[in-house]
Amino acid sequence: MNEIVLETKGLTKYYGSTLAVDHMDLQIPRGCICGFVGRNGAGKTTAIKLMLGLLNPTAGSSRLLGCDSSALTPAIRQRIGYVTEGHRLFRWMSIGGLETFQRAFFPKQWDDKFFADMIEYFELSKKQKIKHLSNGQRAQVSLALALAPNPELLIMDDPTLGLDAAIRRQFLEGMIELIMRQGRTVLFSSHILGDVERVSDRIVVIDKGVLRANCSLEQFQKAIKKAILSFADSVPDQVNIDGLLQCKRSEKGLELTLVGTDDEKISEWAKSAGAENYNIVQMNLEDQFIEFTAPANHKRLFQWEER
Amino acid sequence: MRFSALLRKELRECLPWMLLAAIAFLALGGFFLRAKAYYEGDRLYSRLSPGTIVDHYQLTFYPTLNFTGPWFFCLSIGLGLVLGIRQFWIPHFTRTWPFLLHRSISRKSILAAKLSAALIACVISMGSVWVGLYWYANRPEVFPIPQTVRVFIEGWIFIMLGLVVYLGTALSGLSTANWYTTKIFGLVFATFIIVTTLSQWTLVGIFAVIAVSVAVLLVQIFDTFLRREY
Repeated sequence: MNEIVLETKGLTKYYGSTLAVDHMDLQIPRGCICGFVGRNGAGKTTAIKLMLGLLNPTAGSSRLLGCDSSALTPAIRQRIGYVTEGHRLFRWMSIGGLETFQRAFFPKQWDDKFFADMIEYFELSKKQKIKHLSNGQRAQVSLALALAPNPELLIMDDPTLGLDAAIRRQFLEGMIELIMRQGRTVLFSSHILGDVERVSDRIVVIDKGVLRANCSLEQFQKAIKKAILSFADSVPDQVNIDGLLQCKRSEKGLELTLVGTDDEKISEWAKSAGAENYNIVQMNLEDQFIEFTAPANHKRLFQWEER
Repeated sequence: MRFSALLRKELRECLPWMLLAAIAFLALGGFFLRAKAYYEGDRLYSRLSPGTIVDHYQLTFYPTLNFTGPWFFCLSIGLGLVLGIRQFWIPHFTRTWPFLLHRSISRKSILAAKLSAALIACVISMGSVWVGLYWYANRPEVFPIPQTVRVFIEGWIFIMLGLVVYLGTALSGLSTANWYTTKIFGLVFATFIIVTTLSQWTLVGIFAVIAVSVAVLLVQIFDTFLRREY
């Protein structure tokens, strides 16, 4: 079995009476690229900050590279790269100044050539001040700073937020550069499922602070499917099938979103319910995620949708 | 190497305020000293015999450098307040705490770098100008009566009060409580210490009050900085 580089046990965080992270049990093996996805306010940033020891858990614990998050030593932190949400850097510094500052904390690991290559690739100059950079350029600097010390574990908090498609692609290519180095582990949170699909081999889904999925991307994509059933007569009132996430009704049909239900079971249920025919439709990751995290009593935003 | 990188960064952030305070103190202190030197040298002391100059001095009990006192006091307090805000409030608003804290150095060292930078900033900007003004005022061709050592020490007390205000601002900045509850404690405590210090009659009393307040504030700051969430 692969070595676990990141582990949480019953990790819980309350802000006052608001539950942000709810008993999260998570294990991330070494060498994987893990997409950490969840809706706005799902608890991604809180979970990441708890893992890095920037927040104190209300209950539970987390361990990074074998060390408890609440007592991460400088030596362990040296092995962990972190890209903060919004790429908050010291605005008054130049890129070169920031490089000098950051290099001091990684005296043996810092790869000058790699940093220079990345800055050149992103068409930036070391003389540029951070305050004069766009959001996308700050993201690029932030990534270069995190990758240059060649960290064993890279944690990124919504690194592509607010970036346009071209810069996002550049950013992801930079990430792939790290991934190609053996034994490196990446955990990155994102809203953009396309990015997760493009680079991840593992997905962690968090919803309202609760860990809903932690599996390979392939497993996740196989597990969630949509079955469209049509009926000659009336649609059955009760839908009793294992793994049912969502059920949408029309006059002569049902649209079921299912998780972990194999095709045979769907076929059996369709026959027993008297369906005229049925189709199993493959969903893209974004649709799967939306259906997977949609609340059961989902309300429509606009009334006209129901007309 | 890591600590010096942090210290350089903190000093660079303090630099504009250090320079501003030093220039303001030099300009205001220098101006008022020159004005007083002109008044006392040309208009007053030139008409008095050496013996009566001493009498006049003792009678008015008005050390020349005290003339810079109010400006010096305000600038010291202002510098302490600004440095505290720059180091402990601004990172909260710019959300740079996580970037600063996740690095291969202990939190204690990060805080020590901040405190050291503020101490250096206060001592260099206010202290050096104060030493310069004291030296200038002690030249016989400027003032016939030499300045007392007590005046010089009182200047350093103003600098120390600036540091107390800096620590109080830092503590308030680090507090995650609401501003109308314990968050304001640091600033209120610093104000209380200023009032207490100014009401002391002896230097020993003043140093005792400052030493105790600095110790209390440092303990609180270290505890809050190491425990708080970012």
